[in-house]
Amino acid sequence: MIAIIPTDHFLIMTLYALLVSAFFALLWRETRRERLRLFGILLASLVLGGLAVAWLMYPFPS
Amino acid sequence: MNETAAAASRRPLVVAMILAWLFPGLGHFYLGRRTTAVAYAVIVTATFLAGVSFQGRLYTVEAGQPLTILATFAVYGAGLLNIAARLLSDNPAGTILAATYEYGCAYLLTAGLMNLLLILDAHDIAAGRKR
Repeated sequence: MIAIIPTDHFLIMTLYALLVSAFFALLWRETRRERLRLFGILLASLVLGGLAVAWLMYPFPS
Repeated sequence: MNETAAAASRRPLVVAMILAWLFPGLGHFYLGRRTTAVAYAVIVTATFLAGVSFQGRLYTVEAGQPLTILATFAVYGAGLLNIAARLLSDNPAGTILAATYEYGCAYLLTAGLMNLLLILDAHDIAAGRKR
């Protein structure tokens, strides 16, 4: 099986945020405008939320 | 409505749900929502394939690990994608030492759960609860 394995954590997280945002924007909204708006909100929330959690964890290494 | 008529009206609903489980977006395609069906197919398949390529785990139920029941249910939600990956993959249990293992598991679980949501969405459309 083809294995394309990026090890950049930010890239993997951003790809995940893109896919999940696109999915829920399609599922939860009907019009193009509403979908784009929700997509932007979800994407920004997931990426910025992930960065915020990563920053908060920084003082507590495992 | 008599029982025969009620059963006939339920048929598209059941067919849509089965198709939706078999492959992401197929239920929506059957219900005439072709553009969104293609978009769902691309998104869910991409998520699933990314999970496989990140060496995530295609869960199976393990004794003494009750959470694997939920994880297995979630991954089996991806329908034929999950079955094909199990048959074709050299390593369906994933590579626990890989740096991307946890990400792969998250992607695979998410793809399965997305498809379960699509099954429910196809049900709602077929039942007339959603426009």
